[in-house]
Amino acid sequence: MNGKTGKGSAYGWLLQRITGIFLAFFLILHFQVLHFTKDWRIDFNLVTQRMEGLGWVIFYLIFVPAGLFHAFNGAWQVIHDYRPKAGTGKALKTLFWVLGIAISVWGYYLIVTFNKGA
Amino acid sequence: MYQPKSGFFRMYRDEVGLNPNVGTWSWLLHRITGVILVLYLFMHFLALSSSVGGADSFNAWISNLQTPLTHVLEIGLAAVVAFHLLNGLRITVADFFYLTKPHKALFWIAMVIFAVLMVITLVVFLGRAFSPQH
Repeated sequence: MNGKTGKGSAYGWLLQRITGIFLAFFLILHFQVLHFTKDWRIDFNLVTQRMEGLGWVIFYLIFVPAGLFHAFNGAWQVIHDYRPKAGTGKALKTLFWVLGIAISVWGYYLIVTFNKGA
Repeated sequence: MYQPKSGFFRMYRDEVGLNPNVGTWSWLLHRITGVILVLYLFMHFLALSSSVGGADSFNAWISNLQTPLTHVLEIGLAAVVAFHLLNGLRITVADFFYLTKPHKALFWIAMVIFAVLMVITLVVFLGRAFSPQH
């Protein structure tokens, strides 16, 4: 075992699966609602009407960070396979966390723009 | 423990060469689809950011993304998502329920579901791509 990785990688493994289960259900619903409907042409009105419902807002409040965590944690796993040096690994992990949180905040702001648009 | 030698693709060549089995191919495909989805997610956020400019800005973007060509490309996206989703569930089920031994059977079950989903996707999206409503 590589002693450098410590406990963190087990949490990464577990959280990748937990977020993955959430995303599986969310993505099926996401595709169902946006792409497998009779009225398939998407515009601002369609989105804002849907976003009036609190249920959909809560849906996206979970969907956005879960998706970003899964994406960056997955990207980290790819990089981890190359056994980066401790300093490089730490720098990349920090970068991924900063980007993940920043894009989540931006995503939350976009939810507001859709919610106010109606 | 395996230590990758120099070269970006060396690890993948070694892995597939040393162990050319269903588990390795699915691992490779899971990784490729995963990387595609990360890149797609950024583009998705970028396109949705047009909502900051209000209805006109959003509608201008979204109408460019709803052409016959993009509906055909969406079939590819659906395939990438469906594979990653179903194979990911297979990995999770195998890990959580001690089903690593029948993982190959689980993979083929996932692929049958994948095939069914893709037939539905092809019918719906090709119909849309060639719809006179464009």
